[in-house]
Amino acid sequence: MDNMKLPKEKVGDFLAKLGKEKFRVPREIGGRSEFAPPNGESNVDFSLPNTTVPLKSLFYPQTETLYRFEVGDTVPKTSVVAEEMIIMGVRPCDARALTIVDKLFSWDPEDPYYLAKREKATLIGLACQEPRVNCFCTSLGGGPASTEGLDILMTDLGDSYLFQVLTEKGEKICQEAGDILVKSEDNDVQAAEKAHNDAASKIVRGIEADSIPEKLPQLWESDIWKKTADPCLGCGTCTFLCPTCHCFDIQDEIEGIEGRRYRVWDSCMFTEYTLHTSGHNPRPTGRERTRNRINHKYSYYVEKFEVIACVGCGRCINLCPVNIDILNILSQVKEAL
Amino acid sequence: MADLEKLITVAKETVSRDDVKHLIGWRQGTYGFRVSPHFITEPEEADKLIFSPLCNSNLVNYLTWVEKLPVPRGQEADTRKVALMVKGCDSRAVVQLLIEQGIKREDVIVIGCPCEGVIDLAKAEEMFPNVLEQVEARWDGEKIVFKLPDGEKAVPREDVLADKCLRCRYPNPVLSDVLLGDEVKTEGNDDYADVDGMEEKTTKERWAFWEEQFSSCIRCYSCRNVCPMCYCEDCILDRLNPTWINRSNNISENTAFHLARAFHLAGRCIECGECERVCPVNIPIMTLNRKLTKEVREKFDYDPGTDPDSKPLQASYLPNDQENFIL
Repeated sequence: MDNMKLPKEKVGDFLAKLGKEKFRVPREIGGRSEFAPPNGESNVDFSLPNTTVPLKSLFYPQTETLYRFEVGDTVPKTSVVAEEMIIMGVRPCDARALTIVDKLFSWDPEDPYYLAKREKATLIGLACQEPRVNCFCTSLGGGPASTEGLDILMTDLGDSYLFQVLTEKGEKICQEAGDILVKSEDNDVQAAEKAHNDAASKIVRGIEADSIPEKLPQLWESDIWKKTADPCLGCGTCTFLCPTCHCFDIQDEIEGIEGRRYRVWDSCMFTEYTLHTSGHNPRPTGRERTRNRINHKYSYYVEKFEVIACVGCGRCINLCPVNIDILNILSQVKEAL
Repeated sequence: MADLEKLITVAKETVSRDDVKHLIGWRQGTYGFRVSPHFITEPEEADKLIFSPLCNSNLVNYLTWVEKLPVPRGQEADTRKVALMVKGCDSRAVVQLLIEQGIKREDVIVIGCPCEGVIDLAKAEEMFPNVLEQVEARWDGEKIVFKLPDGEKAVPREDVLADKCLRCRYPNPVLSDVLLGDEVKTEGNDDYADVDGMEEKTTKERWAFWEEQFSSCIRCYSCRNVCPMCYCEDCILDRLNPTWINRSNNISENTAFHLARAFHLAGRCIECGECERVCPVNIPIMTLNRKLTKEVREKFDYDPGTDPDSKPLQASYLPNDQENFIL
């Protein structure tokens, strides 16, 4: 399909035509930003930096009911809730992260809750033009205009957005939008390419990551882990807000005779994550937990799914209260061998 | 201003002692305005220590955030002294821990740093975004001077310091074993204007505000973990049997968490502001804490963490305590 253009003044019409209730757009709510249904009147602000809460929360919410029951039931009442979603303004790193997490959730057994939502979602990406200091997507196979995981890639051309249609889902959106979208011209594509290249040149941090997965197993007893973990507070910021972290805990809540079993984000940086009923904890300190966090992303996941479970979005670096910096850890790993 | 040469000399001497486990201070972070807590055991590591307006974290939390590895049979745990650097506000946490008998005086060596205020990272990074090179900073009267890649920039202190510093009443450590440099002048006057502003709202407005804030919470517990006064070995938040606070993230459980956290700090919070600083979703946690601090000051004339020989507020009943607010 040809590239199309969405004039900025028609963003509202675009949302209305396709059904505003289906949209999820970047929004600032309280002190955080996240993808949420568009606000009643105000325009969508696509100029916000990447959201604090990554895209995963739409597919794999922090708290999700798996099934409900009444005490005495022998068959749980399962319901997989998935509504059609058009997610607009997705940063390429977050879309790539979903393709990485997909591998886990479609592994054996398949996760119906996650996959049903994925199936019904269309992702309209927005090429980054102002990467932040801790963005390092280009080190991990992504980039400010990476298309992996997206159905359409938008590029801000000043008074309009160029739509590069990438999949059938994307085509369907463009067909439904009808004449709200206009045909793009050759110089639009050139302008977009220039914007993409300019953005990539603004990325200042990075690491050559290819050799890390094979080095990590040799550094099991290295003092890197204790040194790195000394200041760690054991909070869940780096993992909860990581677009590829996907660990969950399963809990029950019962009120009267009604109950539900739900899953809730869990973090390998928490002390209780690996705490056994006996009181034994195989990862008793921050050293073991930090080692696990890095190994899971850069070694175990690679072994199992042949991809590094990190997209270089920089959230864990931006938000760590004590400046534990994954790029710094990785460069120590590289220097150690 | 703290004397850096003295700091490094003191640090080297301290970590060389056999009865000291380690020293905790600050060092330059990996980029920009960031600093990181620096744990040192060897004298040569002391050269990296800094004390500047960038040192905005409170290290006292590490006195109690101790993870005890299971000690193999026949060995003993390392219970040697811990030395740490404190600013005025941080020192109140040490004192409060002594009051509560959370630590023993002989187990800690306090290196006091008179402080003219530390930066609010968000303010600095908004003013000078995306700085990759390590920034140095120093106090210069009414200005904070940053050494940036394109030269020095002097910024008025009220534009870049943390709010807590602009109203600071305790810039000098209230307790220390070594003091780095001369005491600084105390100018801060805390009128609790932020709390008054919140009190003036109607109940409905206040609830609308907090409902949005608590709904934002991701329950990462960084506020609890960073708090020097949150050191229960068995925290109500971690309890599963009974489950006092469910793990599910919703307004009900999140509110229960925030209120439990705030009330457990009543009469104990020393207002270092760490909870609010570390919150990844910018919940104004200190506004809750300061409401309680204000109540405690007004009703009991009590300032936590100022007198190591005093009793905890809840253990210091006086016959003439006010009772007119008891329902």
